[in-house]
Parts: sequence; structure tokens; C-alpha cells
Amino acid sequence: MNDTDPTILKISGLSKSFGKYAVLTDVNYSLQKAEIAAIIGPNGAGKTTFFNLITGYHNADSGTVLFQGRAITDWPRHRIARAGISRAFQVSNIYPRLTTYENVRQAILAQKKRTLDIFTPASGLARESTLELLELTGLLPNRDTVAGILSQGDKKKLELALALAGKPEMLLLDEPTAGMSSEETHETMELVKRLNAQIGLTILFTEHDISVIFGYARKLSVLYQGILIAEGTPEEVRRNEEAQRCYLGEDI
Amino acid sequence: MKNKYFFATILFMLAVVLPFIVPVFWVHVLTEILILGLFAASFNMIFGYMGQLTFGHAAYYGIGAYTTGLLMVKANVPMLATLPLSMLSAGLCAALLGYFCVKLRGIYFAILTMAFGQLVYYIIFQWYSFTGGDNGLQGIVPPEFLGKAANPYYFFTLIVVTIGMIALWIISESPFGYTMRAIRDNAERTEFIGINVQRYMLLNFIIAAMFAGLAGALWGPFNRSVAPDLTNWMHSGIPVFMTVMGGPFSFLGPLVGSAIYTFLMATVTSFTEYWPLVSGVIIILVVLLMPGGFLGLIDEKFPFLMRRGNGTGKTDGQGRQER
Repeated sequence: MNDTDPTILKISGLSKSFGKYAVLTDVNYSLQKAEIAAIIGPNGAGKTTFFNLITGYHNADSGTVLFQGRAITDWPRHRIARAGISRAFQVSNIYPRLTTYENVRQAILAQKKRTLDIFTPASGLARESTLELLELTGLLPNRDTVAGILSQGDKKKLELALALAGKPEMLLLDEPTAGMSSEETHETMELVKRLNAQIGLTILFTEHDISVIFGYARKLSVLYQGILIAEGTPEEVRRNEEAQRCYLGEDI
Repeated sequence: MKNKYFFATILFMLAVVLPFIVPVFWVHVLTEILILGLFAASFNMIFGYMGQLTFGHAAYYGIGAYTTGLLMVKANVPMLATLPLSMLSAGLCAALLGYFCVKLRGIYFAILTMAFGQLVYYIIFQWYSFTGGDNGLQGIVPPEFLGKAANPYYFFTLIVVTIGMIALWIISESPFGYTMRAIRDNAERTEFIGINVQRYMLLNFIIAAMFAGLAGALWGPFNRSVAPDLTNWMHSGIPVFMTVMGGPFSFLGPLVGSAIYTFLMATVTSFTEYWPLVSGVIIILVVLLMPGGFLGLIDEKFPFLMRRGNGTGKTDGQGRQER
């Protein structure tokens, strides 16, 4: 990896279809280090599939994904995660029968490569970093709650915490604030922004909430029926006619 | 935390005291409870902790029993030395067969483990020159210091099973053990936090098989013989039954299940030959009335007695899955 190269993610010719239905067609995309970028588009545009291909959830039909100069296309999921790409899912994807604390500790122990340890009691491990991350994501009051009965908003926070526990270089957030109150949305996005500013975390997110998109993203890409139709700063995309016609439409 | 080991301590003290009080027949039953309890606890590493149902666990129990039997009868290896070797052979077979099993989940995992279990059964059943085929192996006599009386072998079993259970407990509370719970709860998420789920499942499969092998190794000298039936799928059903009955979501559930099952079998078979009928009715009642098994029920009614098990009791107190 070349340290002077500011490109963290470079995707070329990425395509994926399920049966006859082409979900993504020849997507070319690149992302600079420490950027906050959003992928927007109507439901079914292929946003989640785009994330799925980057993180190895699905294998691409064609195209390549370069992350920090390495071709990670079709790597297994756990290897991509280890390479520095963490992901928070659209529908919260947590450990419902473990407590919030245990959820976060599990992800931290995985990051620290302690999970093959069969001798040390897990209860004493990674205490500080777990509490720190719970504090950061506002989950400390719920630390002993079984994650399955958390509120929708708290589940999304936990989702974010699990993704952050991996100490990623790049964080993919699939509708990070869906199911959150407007206050929680604000808190979460401020946290994301702060992490970006403090540790240079690269952020790529999808979102439907226009205020979140224009309030936080510095780069926007519009996906429509599997094709990347527009790209640029929020201002440029706002003025782009095709983007307006396909998605933004009415009033922005 | 003050009652963390309360229940386990009570059980252990009972196990120490009982053989001095009860008649010899019941000492044999107690020995069986311990051996099958360790077998069921090893099964629960896969079932309760990893969330997969194996229907071929008796294969590894049987391999342990046959390893001990063959080494003692054919090579005169001292019994103490055969125990670790039994764990080793069961673990090696599990590494080979488990490699394929962990690629599958749910019912497919259950079916493949069962198929491999039957494979082991038929190999042992047919290989007359080596295993004695359907005659099994006879004359597996415990060493002299364990004598002919019931009590010495019982206490020997108690020591080995206690060590085995403590080892399983340590593993279940380790980061590896929590990774198993994570895989059970959400295997997909576990991949996305950077864990090679299949490899971890295989490791756990091997660990579980090793302790099943240890339990099997205790069985041969206890029974003075081994038979191929030890490895077949009917025998694989025993830990399933025990675990569901005792409570898959408590570490000691399988052991308690073993106590109930073995005790009932010993009493019921003394007045009727229809033990399967009785056990069938019992399991229907348990599944309908106590979804968390016996310990799940205790946990619900007397929560102060028990340390929380492996995650689920905390959800709604009935051992039901929150999904």
C-alpha cells in the first residue's frame, strides 16, 4: 500500500445481477481517505447490494474492489473485516441473547484477536475499551440489558458500536439512523462526524433522510436502477438535472 | 455473584456423600449419571453454546470407548494412559468429519452429523477382526487399585468428570466460549466482526468430541465391555434428550438432565419394559411445559439459586429464544 495515495477505495466495473434482474451495472466509484460520502437513491436502487459487494456479503459477477491498493474482491467476509472495513447494517444485526456489554466486548475481543483464547475468563477482558465504546455510543445506561429487547434506536447504536469495535479504516453505514428519533439521529451523526475529524475514519453511508445527507456528506453519489448517474459535492448533485429527475425530485 | 457456584457445590457435595448412603446398585447408577452427564455436557457445547444440533455425537463417545477398550484389551495399556488417548482419537475423527459438517447449518448440520455417526457405527460393526463387530469387546477390566467394589470406580469417575466439567466450564466462559454464543446468536454478524466462523465451529466440534471421547473412555471399564451400539444414532439421541430435559441454557443443565434420565430409566425399567414409552411421554411434557428444561424452570422460580447460564435465561426467564 502506498501511503501517499489518498484513494482508500477504488471500484471498477462492478456488476451484480440476481437471476435476470441486474441490481448493479458497471459501477465505477472511488473514495478518498478521511472522506464522508453518501450513496443515495430510491429504494431498490442497489445501495445495499453495493455495500454487500464491498464487504463480501455477495460475490460480484464482474468488476474489482481495491481497498488501500489491495484487491479484496471476493475475499471472505471475515478477511475483509480484518482488512479494515467495518459495516453497520440497515436492519440491526446484533447478538440478541447477549447483553449490550457482551455484544460490544465480543466485537472488541475479535478485533484484538483474543477469541481463540479458551483459558481466560472473558468477563475480565477488554473491560476498559468496552466501557469506553459503550460510553461513546451512548449505550452505557443499557450495558446489562439483553440486546434483543433494546429499543430500535438503541439497537442501531449497538450496531454502530459493533462496527466501530473493529477499529476500521473505513466504515460503511447502511441507513445508520433508520428507526432513531431525531435527537438520536443527530447524536449518532455527530459522533460519526467527530470520529471522522479526530481519527480520519473514512465514512460511506446510505440514507433516505435528506437533512442527514446534506448535513453530513461531503460527497454524494446517486444510484438509480443499479447505475451511478451522478456524483459530486452536495451542491453539484443538488443542481444536477438527472439526479433531480431520478431521485431528489420535489423539494430540496 | 455470591451464589455463583452455589448450585454446583451442592451437586458436588451430594455426589461425594451419596455413595456412602445408597445401596451398591445406586452407586452404579450414579456412576452412569456422571459419565453420561459429561457426554451430555460435551454435546451441549455444540447445541446450547454453538446453536447447532448434532445427531452423531455418540460416534465420538463410542470412539473414546473403543480406543480405551482396544488399548486395554489388545495392548495392555494402563487405563489412566488410555483416557487422554481416547480424547485424542475422538478429536482426530471429529477434525476429519467435522470439517464437512461445519459447512452446514441447522437441519443439514444435524443430518450430516447423523450420517457420519452412522458411518462410524457401521465401520465398527463390520470390522470384526479389529473391533469384534457386533460382539463388541469384552474383558475391559479397570486396574486393581480401583478394585472390584463399586465405590472406588465411582470416585475415580467423579474426579475425571469433575475435571472434565471444570475444563468445559472454563472454555465456555472464555472468549472462545463467548464466540460460540455469538455464532449461535448471529453467525453472519460474527463473520463481519472478523471471525472465521467455520474454523471456530470446527474447533468447538473437536473440543466437544474430545470430551465425549473422555466420557466414552470412562464407560468401557465401567461396563467391562463396549458394543457398537454405543456409537449409533439411537445413542446420539441420549444427550439430546438429557440436555433438553435438564436445560440447554445452563451449564449444568445436561448433567441434571442426565441425573433425571438415568434415575428414571433405572426405576422405570425395574417395573416395566416399556421405558421408551415412558421417556417419550416425559419428553413431550418437558418440551410443552418447560421449554428451558428443568434448570430453566428452577431459574425462573428460584433465580437466586443459579448463576446465569449461557445467555438465554436473561431474556425472559423461560429459556425461550428472543428472536
